[in-house]
Amino acid sequence: MPGLRVLKSRDEFEGEIYTSTVIVEGDDLPASRDGAPTAEIGRARPRVDGRNRVTGRAMYTQDVRLPGMLHAAILRSPVPRARVRAIDTKKAEALPGVRAVLHRFNAPEIEFRGEKTLFRDEVKFVGDEVAAVAADDSQVAQQAIALIEVDYEILPHVVDLEEAIGPKAPKIDPDGNVHDAGEYKRGDFRKAFKDADVTIDVTYRTSTQMHNALETHGAVASWDGDRLTVWESTQAVFGVRNMLKDALKLQPTQVRVICEYMGGGFGAKLGTYKYGVIASLLSMRLGRPVRCVLTRREENLAAGNRSATLQKLKLAGKDGRIVALEHESWSNSGQGRWAANPTGPSNTLYDIANVSSTAHRVTTNAGALSAFRAPGYVEGTFALESAVDELAVAMKVDPLTLRKRHARSVTDPRTDNRYSLKRLLECYAIGAHEIGWSKRRNAGMRGSQPHRRRGLGMATQIWGGGGGPPAYATVHIETDGTAVLRVGVQDIGTGTRTAIAQVCADELGLQLDQVTVRLGDTDAPYGPGSGGSVTLASIGPAVRIAASEVREKLLVAAGGILEMPASELRIERGSIVSKGARTPLKEVMPKLDNSTIIGTGIRHPNPDKLAIKTFGAHFAQVEVDVRTGEIFVEKVVAVHDVGRIVNPLTAASQVQGGIVQALGFALTEERVVDRGLGRVMNANLEWYEIPTSMDVPEIVVRFVDVPDRKANNLGAKGLGEPPIIPTAAAVANAVANATGARVRHAPMTRARVLEALAMVGAS
Amino acid sequence: MTSLRGPNAVDLTLNVNGHDRSVHVPPRFSLLDTLRGPLGLTGTKLVCDEGDCGACTVLIDDRPVYSCLTLAIAAEGRRVETIEGLSQDGTLHPVQEAFVEHDAYQCGFCTPGQVMSVVSLLRAKPDAREDDVRRAVSGNLCRCGAYPNIVAAGVAAAKKKR
Amino acid sequence: MSLFAYARPKALGEALKLLKNGTIALAGGTDLITLMRHGLAEPDALVDLTGIEGLRGITREKGRGIRIGALTALSDVEASADLLRSLPIVPESLRDAATPQIRNMGTVGGNLLQRNRCWYFRDEGVQCWLKGGKRCFAVDGENRYHAVIGAHECWIVSPSDLAPALIASDAEVELASSLGRRRIPLAGFYVAPSGKQRKEHAIRRGELITTVRIPEKALERKGTYVKAMERKAWSFAIVSVAAAARVRDGKASDVRLVLGGIAPIPWRVPAAERVLDGTSLDDNACLAAADVVLKDATPLRDNGYKVTLARELVRRALRSLMS
Repeated sequence: MPGLRVLKSRDEFEGEIYTSTVIVEGDDLPASRDGAPTAEIGRARPRVDGRNRVTGRAMYTQDVRLPGMLHAAILRSPVPRARVRAIDTKKAEALPGVRAVLHRFNAPEIEFRGEKTLFRDEVKFVGDEVAAVAADDSQVAQQAIALIEVDYEILPHVVDLEEAIGPKAPKIDPDGNVHDAGEYKRGDFRKAFKDADVTIDVTYRTSTQMHNALETHGAVASWDGDRLTVWESTQAVFGVRNMLKDALKLQPTQVRVICEYMGGGFGAKLGTYKYGVIASLLSMRLGRPVRCVLTRREENLAAGNRSATLQKLKLAGKDGRIVALEHESWSNSGQGRWAANPTGPSNTLYDIANVSSTAHRVTTNAGALSAFRAPGYVEGTFALESAVDELAVAMKVDPLTLRKRHARSVTDPRTDNRYSLKRLLECYAIGAHEIGWSKRRNAGMRGSQPHRRRGLGMATQIWGGGGGPPAYATVHIETDGTAVLRVGVQDIGTGTRTAIAQVCADELGLQLDQVTVRLGDTDAPYGPGSGGSVTLASIGPAVRIAASEVREKLLVAAGGILEMPASELRIERGSIVSKGARTPLKEVMPKLDNSTIIGTGIRHPNPDKLAIKTFGAHFAQVEVDVRTGEIFVEKVVAVHDVGRIVNPLTAASQVQGGIVQALGFALTEERVVDRGLGRVMNANLEWYEIPTSMDVPEIVVRFVDVPDRKANNLGAKGLGEPPIIPTAAAVANAVANATGARVRHAPMTRARVLEALAMVGAS
Repeated sequence: MTSLRGPNAVDLTLNVNGHDRSVHVPPRFSLLDTLRGPLGLTGTKLVCDEGDCGACTVLIDDRPVYSCLTLAIAAEGRRVETIEGLSQDGTLHPVQEAFVEHDAYQCGFCTPGQVMSVVSLLRAKPDAREDDVRRAVSGNLCRCGAYPNIVAAGVAAAKKKR
Repeated sequence: MSLFAYARPKALGEALKLLKNGTIALAGGTDLITLMRHGLAEPDALVDLTGIEGLRGITREKGRGIRIGALTALSDVEASADLLRSLPIVPESLRDAATPQIRNMGTVGGNLLQRNRCWYFRDEGVQCWLKGGKRCFAVDGENRYHAVIGAHECWIVSPSDLAPALIASDAEVELASSLGRRRIPLAGFYVAPSGKQRKEHAIRRGELITTVRIPEKALERKGTYVKAMERKAWSFAIVSVAAAARVRDGKASDVRLVLGGIAPIPWRVPAAERVLDGTSLDDNACLAAADVVLKDATPLRDNGYKVTLARELVRRALRSLMS
């Protein structure tokens, strides 16, 4: 096969670099030179699926109803740690309408998420799966699980991060609760710290944040005797497929996963969980479709969270520069077997000569963490960027000036690779102008009302988002002259469907409404999961190649029909255009009868020896009531350097949404767990307070909007995660600027703000 | 003397989107479960099932309420409106149109509830301003954080009405 | 939620007859339905009161104060022109109460009868003292939103925004049952759970609130309601303060000061009100009154900040009466 190569590609996903094997065919297309808006790219387009979203017609997993469908419910452990000695299901099974009960004594051996069983013999957190019931309706299923009798042998537990680290804690893992989760060093931190003029040594904390995507996790599984079709609310249809085929020992072609619309994914839906395996297993056993959709409470117990962290930072300044940085972190991973390392930003964001970092994962009797929108980076940036401000105060230098001194480097300090593009200084300049940084005073400003102080703060973000292979697209032209684009990715609400329709229409010369996108179905060739801000930068370049191939073929075909050389033709707004004539494609295509034109596109590998990163800076203006501890975030300016912007409308939505979610992390969102009971007291949306419409400040969104031509043929990078990263630190820095009080624990609740204010006597 | 109905399934007539619909459900069924189940109107979403989120917002006698906390049987004799009843003959309601134009959603799961809250506001107060819209959707959570565009869409729809 | 029967009578008399053991009255349902879903109420039957027309509406009769029907929707109270003119503290208290939807559904009677929001009480897997268990888990548990004062065996806080405002307006509630009617001051309607009394309200079995009455004299006071929340909307009060006073020639008299969110009941300390009599509600007087209110506060591990907040909110509420 000519032009076929097998290569290695190095891609970043959620802060870690992975190497993968990729097959490459043909040549990549060049990226646009200047990135100026074209017919579709760079144009604000309302979503192509907007109608379905506003009319209630969009079909989510929750809405899937199949004939004969059964409903599954899961019995979950009410205690944080216990051995399951016996389970009595007689009463449950006797209930009319109950079709099956599964538990550790009757379930098949299934390997899933690193364990050999679906139902643990030792349950390890409140919410751990103990048994499952399938019944004719969900009320019966719920009644049935209440009738299951379980004999628990209670074991000692620990749920709190700092308690679990301590010497008195029971050992949850045989080898102790604290595990290594990453180390990094450059230069000589100790020496530089000792020789410095100014040093700080500070501890930060962040609380557990819960995703609370509005659509809970859930699956509807339907086994037809040979093939399993699963509708799942997921960020990764292929991720779910692969986990299910492995768990159930099926062939890839025997599992089809579908997710056309999904109600929110912020990292916790990159694969399936036990409910998906349970629904599938029950469907295979009973021969009927089975629906298992989590309740809000279950969602908040057993479907992931952002770890609470304890972070100790030491920074040192000398001659106006930061000369040393040490960052040690502990993350509450619950029952998770990995940590979202918070030290990533400390290792990579700034050009600091001497850096040392150590990360620890701590096991507790709480639900496992999962990725949550920039896992580790949100927590780590809160600490790092707060500390940089604290050092700037100690060094008596403007915090933005101090950052600029360390933001000029054009190489990634961890790998010494050059950045493909870095426009961070422009982000700073635009943001400083928009927020009015020049009016910032070191001692803050008077507020708009008595007892209120006003302040400005800012913080920086670094993240990957370059995407990479493999990712595939096919495009074909229908007999009416419209194009159908088929990909194996999904649209989790970021606007992927619209952005790739724009890329396709642009390359083909069609109007946007002449492109139909089919996605969210593993019957298409592979597409990556929507996590790590990789979707558009991975699939977009493949779409472009597929569309370009179709365009070339179409011109040749049209030339044949119109009896003109292809070189004199082009496609514009759905018509074949030659000198002086326009022929709509819908008139050309029928002349080909049922012959069609198909193009395929692949994602080419990322360039070797280049670091592909996204950068950005957020600036916040706040007021603080120094008597009541209330924070009023008045304005947030967000400036991002994420390559070329395909759709400025949906891109701005991403940034706004990231900021809103970050404000929840910064101000109100905190999982509360009773240490004695091990129970999550606010596994709901009442006391777990996510931002409302009244909590949102004025938000100004700006993009540097320069194509990253070395990154991929679109010049676009990811934008899902960058906007959630720097907001909390920007707000904390603004609060400190306003009041002199430094709040070192996110969320900055009334209690914590009042405590910090009391420390500095600021009332 | 009024007599007790239930506790097992009873026949109800609900006026939904201008049509009388018959269902056979027990009194414990919420309006939300009845809409989504027997009536097949899945546009109204279930998120928290306890009045903490607003995704299940429908209008009863023109006012937005949480259908998860409303018993279907208690909605008898009242006018229920859901997202499915807004657009007629394929033409979007001006509020729906404004939501599309302003990208007033991301995942779209809260959208039906948000739209119903704004529709109700503009019926009661056609000249609604930004602060009115912000308050009108303060009982509709959006985890994607589309609030700035939701408010902009509401304001734009009000301006168009004026 | 277990099965139950349902009736929607058209007359109060019928409703009262239907209210017997195992039956619960339903109005807006915003609290009751959640209690039922969490197994905290398991009625055999619900009597839906919303069909009873006579219990809805706000009437203002010159010289005879204000009557608010128990079934009046909170949103109608919030928007009532009569109240906005004669007793603005009451609509003001609802402005940040819950959400527009809940205010459309919720009624005055239901609001006054809502049960507490303690997360141990609401968790069906926790058998706390109030539910017949042995102890209050908040005392040495997660108590950032719990009581700082006035608690006995149970550290819940009174969640209503409306109740402090109405108590500061000397409101009385009229109660009806098949045995007859009675009228009690709203302040006496709330009880701090203790001893054998494992409940928050002095309502008797089979009894309904029919009307809330505010005497004419209360309308002569100026009043205000302030509320501290963790977010800007849709939060229960961390601390709230209803303050009212007659203000003449720059001097305050006949002061009312009622706090929400800090005690198992709406917290009123008459001695603190007397401290303010005849003062110009200056900072010193306000803080002196706050100190009297909070004198017996015994905060738990995580809720000491409520005392700081309460002190400042008392000062602000009172000060604003002079502006």
